[in-house]
Amino acid sequence: MNGRGRTVRVARTAPDGRRYYEDFRVPLGPQTTILDALLYIHRHLDRTLAFRYACRQAMCGTCGVRVNGVERLACYTLLGAVPGRVVTVEPLRHLPVIRDLVVDFGPFFRAWAAIRPAFVPADNDGAEPARIRPDDPDRRVIDRHRECISCGLCYSACDVVGTRPGFPGPAALNHALCLVLDRRDGAGPDRLKPIDGPEGCWACHGLLACSNVCPKGLDPTGAIEDLKRLVAFGRRRNGVAV
Amino acid sequence: MRAVETLSADILILGGGGAGTLAALHASNRPGLKVVVAVKGLLGKSGCTRMVQGGYNAVLHPDDSIERHFLDTLRGGAFINDQELVWILVNRAPQMVAELENRYGCFFDRNPDGTIHQKPFGGQTFDRTVHRGDLTGIEIMERLRTALLARDSVLVLEEHRAVGLLRDRGQGRVCGAVLLNIRRGTFTVVQARATLLATGGGPTMYRMATPSREKSLDGIVLAYQAGALLMDMEMVQFHPTALVVPGSELNGAVLEEGLRGAGAHLLNSLGERFMARYDPDRMERSTRDIVSRACYLEITAGRGTPGGGVWLDISHLGRATVEALFPGMVERTRAAGFDLATGPVEVCPAAHFIMGGVVIDESCHTTIPGLYAAGEDAAGVQGANRLGGNGVAESTVFGALAGDVMAEEVVGTPRLEPDPHEVEAHIEAATGPLRRDAGEDVYGLLDRLRELMWAKVGVVRNRSGLEAALAELAELKERAARVKTQKAAPAFNLEWQQALNLRSLVAASELVAASALYRTESRGAHYREDFPDQDDENWLCNVTAVRAEGGLRLEKRPARLSRINPLVGERRQ
Repeated sequence: MNGRGRTVRVARTAPDGRRYYEDFRVPLGPQTTILDALLYIHRHLDRTLAFRYACRQAMCGTCGVRVNGVERLACYTLLGAVPGRVVTVEPLRHLPVIRDLVVDFGPFFRAWAAIRPAFVPADNDGAEPARIRPDDPDRRVIDRHRECISCGLCYSACDVVGTRPGFPGPAALNHALCLVLDRRDGAGPDRLKPIDGPEGCWACHGLLACSNVCPKGLDPTGAIEDLKRLVAFGRRRNGVAV
Repeated sequence: MRAVETLSADILILGGGGAGTLAALHASNRPGLKVVVAVKGLLGKSGCTRMVQGGYNAVLHPDDSIERHFLDTLRGGAFINDQELVWILVNRAPQMVAELENRYGCFFDRNPDGTIHQKPFGGQTFDRTVHRGDLTGIEIMERLRTALLARDSVLVLEEHRAVGLLRDRGQGRVCGAVLLNIRRGTFTVVQARATLLATGGGPTMYRMATPSREKSLDGIVLAYQAGALLMDMEMVQFHPTALVVPGSELNGAVLEEGLRGAGAHLLNSLGERFMARYDPDRMERSTRDIVSRACYLEITAGRGTPGGGVWLDISHLGRATVEALFPGMVERTRAAGFDLATGPVEVCPAAHFIMGGVVIDESCHTTIPGLYAAGEDAAGVQGANRLGGNGVAESTVFGALAGDVMAEEVVGTPRLEPDPHEVEAHIEAATGPLRRDAGEDVYGLLDRLRELMWAKVGVVRNRSGLEAALAELAELKERAARVKTQKAAPAFNLEWQQALNLRSLVAASELVAASALYRTESRGAHYREDFPDQDDENWLCNVTAVRAEGGLRLEKRPARLSRINPLVGERRQ
C-alpha cells in the first residue's frame, strides 16, 4: 500500500462461534475515523466483516467498540490519534456478541428497564408544559446528567457490571437520578426502591471508569454518588440539589 | 425456500423513529390490541428524528399565531402543500410539545421565566423553534423509546427491515409485510389488520447526503410497488450547510439551521456574503431551497472553497457565545478538523429530506385500504420545500394521529390471509444477491448512482440532464438486479443490506428524475435552469406518480387550496 496507513486488528467470529483476531492494513487520512477504517475494510478487504452504525455523528450511540481496550464511538475516534503500533478493535464487554463487532444490547436495556426508566406523569392532564426556570436548583443538577445517548460504553467499561449481574450499570443509574430529581415525575418514593440495596447504587465503588469513557462528557459516577446521598439522607441534607 | 416465521398482529408499524414510536404509543393506549413495531436499526436510535438538531416548530407564544405558522409553512412550501394536512400540523404541534413534556418526560430549554425557549429558524416570521440545546432529537427519542419499551402490548422487532408489503387476493387490501431479520438473515411474515409506513424517507442516493446511513427510502418504494399513489417526488430538499469532510463518513453531517438563525454568515472564496445576490431581504435566514441553490451556484461559478464548498462563519459572535449556544455543533466541527467557535467552516448543500412520498388524507390513509403513512414517508405537509423545525413536528403529530386512527379502525376489520405466492416472490427477490455466484458489485453501483443523482438530478436540473439520468437509471436498475453479495456469513450481512438499499434507492431515483422532468417550471426545492421561473398559472399543482400497466404514470393534480388561494389572496375560511 502506498502512503500512510495503519494496521487495524479486528476481533472476528468464526462460523463455529470461535473468536479470533484478524489484521487489516487501512489507509490513514487526517480525518479517518475508526468507522471509516471499518467501512474501508468491509468494502475493499473483507465483505463478511460485521459492525453496527447509523448516524455517524455521535448521536445514535450504536457504533460503540473498544479501541485498544478503551470504549469509544467508532464514528468519533480518529484513527491517527490512537496510540500504539496496532489499533485493536473489539466489541463492547458484558454483552453477547452477535457477530464480529456487533453485540446484542439486550442485557444493557434490560438493566435499563430494571430502574423503571419510563417517566410517570404527576399531572396526567397537564395541558401546558411545566414552568421551570433554567436556574432551578434541581434542574441544574439534572442538566449536568442529560444527553445520554445510551451507547453502552459505560456499561462495558464498568467492572462492577462484570462481577455483579444484578447491577443496573452507570447509564441506567444516571437516568434514574434525572427522574428522581424531576418534580414533574409522579412515581414518588417508589423511584428509589429498585436503586437502593446491595445490587443498586451501593454496588458502585466509584472507580470512575464510566465517567472516563462517556463520549458525551457525562459523569455517571457523580450521578450515582448523588443517588447514594438521596437514598441515605433524602432531601433534608440538601446533599444533592444545592 | 428459507424457513419463515409468521406473526399475527392487529397493527404493524414499519419504522421506529418519531412517527413509528408515537404511532405505537398511541395505538397501544387502546387495551387489547397487539402492536408490532419493526425497525431497521435499533429502536429510537436509527432514523432521523434521533438526528434532529435545531428543533421543533410549534406556536406557544401569545404573540405568535397558528395562522402565522400555517402561512409560513405554505410560503416555505411554495403553496403546493395539502392545506388540510398543514392545518393539522400547526394546530396539533403545540399539543404534541406538551405531550412530549408532560407524558414522556422530555424537557426542552427554558426562558429565564420558566417558559419554553424558542429560537429563530429560516423562513419563519416568528422565533418558533422549540429545542433542547442543539441536539434536540436525542432528548425526544430517548424518552419515546423508554416509554414504548414499558408497553407490554407492543412487540418491538429491532434490526428487521420490510422487503415487501402483502395484499390479500380478494380485496387488494394490505394485510401485512415480509420482514428480513437482519441479525439472523431469516424472514418473518407479519399478518396485520393495519400497516403503517413510518420508515422515514431519507434521500441517501446523492454524493452529499445528511440522513442516517441505513436509510434508503424503503417506505415510499414499498408503497409504490404495492400500487399506492405518490406525489411530489421531484421535491428533494438539500440542506445548505453540511460539513465537507473528504474521505470520511462524517462528510455531509449537518450543521444546524439555528446557526444561520443566530446570525452566521455564508461567504464565498472572495469573502463575499453572497446571499445578498439571492435573497437580499432575508440573507442567510432565507429558506433552505434558496440558500442551497445559492451555495451550489457559487460553487459551480468557481467561487467555492478548496474542498468544493462555501464558508459558514459564526465566529463574530465570539467564542464563548458560540460554545454556549451550539456545543454539539462546535464539537462536530472540531471532530472534522475545523472550529466553529473561532473561524469559518467548509460547508456544502447535501440531500436531506424528501417532501414527496405517499399521498395521505387527514387520517393518514393511503390510497390502498389497510395501508397508512406518516412522517417523511408521506407527502403533502411540506409542499415544495420544508421549513427547518417542521420535520420532527410532522413525524410526531402525524405518527400519533395514525396510531389513534388505526386503533379505532382495526376494531371489526377482518383478518385477511396474505397471498403465499406474494410472500414467496418477495423473499425470492430479496435473496437474489445471495444466490448468484457472479454478478455486479454493490459498492460500485452505489457510487455511480450517487454521482449521477448529484450531477443530473440534484440542486439544479435541466431537461437533457434528466433525460440522460433516466436512461442511466434504467441501466443501473438492471445491473442492481444482478448484484451478488457474500453468503458465507448470513447473520448481519452488511453487503446484502447494501444491495437491498441500492434496489430501493434506484427505484426511488427513477421516481424523482421522472417527476423532475415532468414539472417544467421551478418551485421550491425543484429548480430547472431551462424553466427558471415559478409558473403558477400552469403548475400550482402536485405531480402524482403511480405504478400502472406499462410502468410509471405521472399526472398533474391541482394543489389543495382549501383554505387560502395564493393567486387571489382570498381566505375562504
